[in-house]
Amino acid sequence: MMNWNLYSRGDRFFAIVVSVLIGMFTVATLYPFIYIAAVSFSSGFAAQAGKVVLTPIDATLEAYGYILWDPQFWVSYRNTFIYTIGGTLMSLAFIIPGAYALSRPQLKGRRFFNLFIAFTMWFNAGLIPFFLNMRDLNLLDSMFGIILAFAVNAFNIILLRNFFEAIPQSFEEAARMDGANDFQVLWKVYMPLSKPAIATITLFCIVSRWNGFFWAMVLLQSEDKIPLQVFLRHTISNLSDDDEFAIVQTAAGFSAETVTAAIIVCSIIPVLIVYPFIQKYFEKGILLGGVKE
Amino acid sequence: MSGVNLEGIVKAYGALQVVHGIDLTVAEKEFVVLVGPSGCGKSTTLRMIAGLEEITAGDLTIDGRRMNRIAPKDRDVAMVFQNYALYPHLNVADNMAFGLRIRRMPKAEIKTTIDDVAEILGLTPYLDRRPADLSGGQRQRVAMGRAIVRHPKVFLFDEPLSNLDAKLRTQMRAEIKRLHNRLGVTSVYVTHDQVEAMTLADRIVVMNDGRIEQIGTPMELFNDPANTFVAGFLGSPPMNQMKGTLTASGAKIGDAEIKIDGRVGDHAGRDVIVGIRPEHVTLSAEGPSSALPISLDLVEPLGSEALLHATHGDDSLVFKAATNGDIDHLSGVDAVHVPSHLVKLFDAETGHALNFGV
Repeated sequence: MMNWNLYSRGDRFFAIVVSVLIGMFTVATLYPFIYIAAVSFSSGFAAQAGKVVLTPIDATLEAYGYILWDPQFWVSYRNTFIYTIGGTLMSLAFIIPGAYALSRPQLKGRRFFNLFIAFTMWFNAGLIPFFLNMRDLNLLDSMFGIILAFAVNAFNIILLRNFFEAIPQSFEEAARMDGANDFQVLWKVYMPLSKPAIATITLFCIVSRWNGFFWAMVLLQSEDKIPLQVFLRHTISNLSDDDEFAIVQTAAGFSAETVTAAIIVCSIIPVLIVYPFIQKYFEKGILLGGVKE
Repeated sequence: MSGVNLEGIVKAYGALQVVHGIDLTVAEKEFVVLVGPSGCGKSTTLRMIAGLEEITAGDLTIDGRRMNRIAPKDRDVAMVFQNYALYPHLNVADNMAFGLRIRRMPKAEIKTTIDDVAEILGLTPYLDRRPADLSGGQRQRVAMGRAIVRHPKVFLFDEPLSNLDAKLRTQMRAEIKRLHNRLGVTSVYVTHDQVEAMTLADRIVVMNDGRIEQIGTPMELFNDPANTFVAGFLGSPPMNQMKGTLTASGAKIGDAEIKIDGRVGDHAGRDVIVGIRPEHVTLSAEGPSSALPISLDLVEPLGSEALLHATHGDDSLVFKAATNGDIDHLSGVDAVHVPSHLVKLFDAETGHALNFGV
């Protein structure tokens, strides 16, 4: 409990303003979650009529029933897992050794390579050249293409490089004297010492892969390869364009709104499950990154 | 024989040369201390022996084998770092086992080796602890344990005691000495602390500005410094140095003249630097000596002895005197007596020691 007597009037005023702002921010970020969850459990009629505010109206599981019975939902759910896990592992496989190499003073041309990597943060080829490049590499409509194309992320490399640079060089030297080669130094010394940073970039990778939508939509055509986010978009456009469906759905107790909300809820659940395990590292990692740059 | 031999070792970073051709032979089982002020190249030299710095020119041989282009891990040397460099994520046992595991030593053998070394170093109760849960002295011991378990041909120490407090440093110094006597491994030890150098070394190498100033046993260096740098570096406090001119039987320093043994008369008129160790003077004339008038600034009692801070002309001097339990009698001192056989002479220009025989 805070002892208010120790605070001046100005401090108290400041604390109140901060609390109010944080409260508003919390509501602003939390409310969409609650709203979407409430819509997903409401009847299609109530959702369409805009009656849902905070709690489900005419509570029903029809929307879930509709998507969970759709085989395409499960295919895209599986694809999202493949893209997330494969993509994250692929990213770590590139980012960790890359960041380590860039952090070593003995790397020849280190400044050049660092600049080269950072350059891609400010400038990139853009949509069309990238698309053409993927086409020429025969990576259009390819699951491996999606995993490979976004494996290297300059921001994550720089974040981890800064972390590696902050680790005293004598650890590397001690390991070398102990007989370790480059790979062993990285694997047995630098990686265990960088757990918070690696956990942070892992989470960055997971979240961006999980939410990956745009490039998947551009690069993938086959229904059996699309991730959940693209499936969600297809569903939204299908449901809202389809008048015949609108009649069926209203009779069945769900609507485009409730089905969309149900898919969103399903797609959020895995992230919510993973986050608490990485959170303690995540906070540290954010702090680290913040201090270093 | 597991000696270390340096021949014309040069280290340069681009155009900047920091070690200018060092020749040094460390015999098997010898404990050699490289000492000098910071930036003198002693750590760089040690790191070249370790293989952590490339050798720009010259030859390094360990055990008769040329090592210039051999990786650190293949040189069979172990190093104790100034900041210990213990792996924070591993416990004491795993820290010591790290190198053995990389070298694929069988598990059972690793365990017995670590248990033995932990016993020697008094680390047995701490094997499960992480470095963060150890005191400075314990960490230092783990760092040494990590070096010892590998049974290397050569130990390298890079200012291993500089992070410890004074009391612990004295204690660990004695432990290192005992350990060396017990294991008999060739050791090269770097420090800027001349007390560590004097107490630990079989031979001391005094370095300055990337060059070796003098190599010798601690007492040789103390008694016969090769130049004013060594004279001013070893000893606590170091040797007093005053400008003077040789006369028929001694040297004139300002308006005082002190007698010096040897044929100084042959060089009368030559400018020299006169060196007098603080502990060599007496307060009353004992044997052949001459009085050097001083004006006393300050008396610092150390217990059994006191430091007299004084001036003679423009020279600031420090002398040691016995207190006999009381410093009152020291406040009136206006001259010290310099025994004529203990005065050192150095060339005024080059700083090299002069020896005119007796």
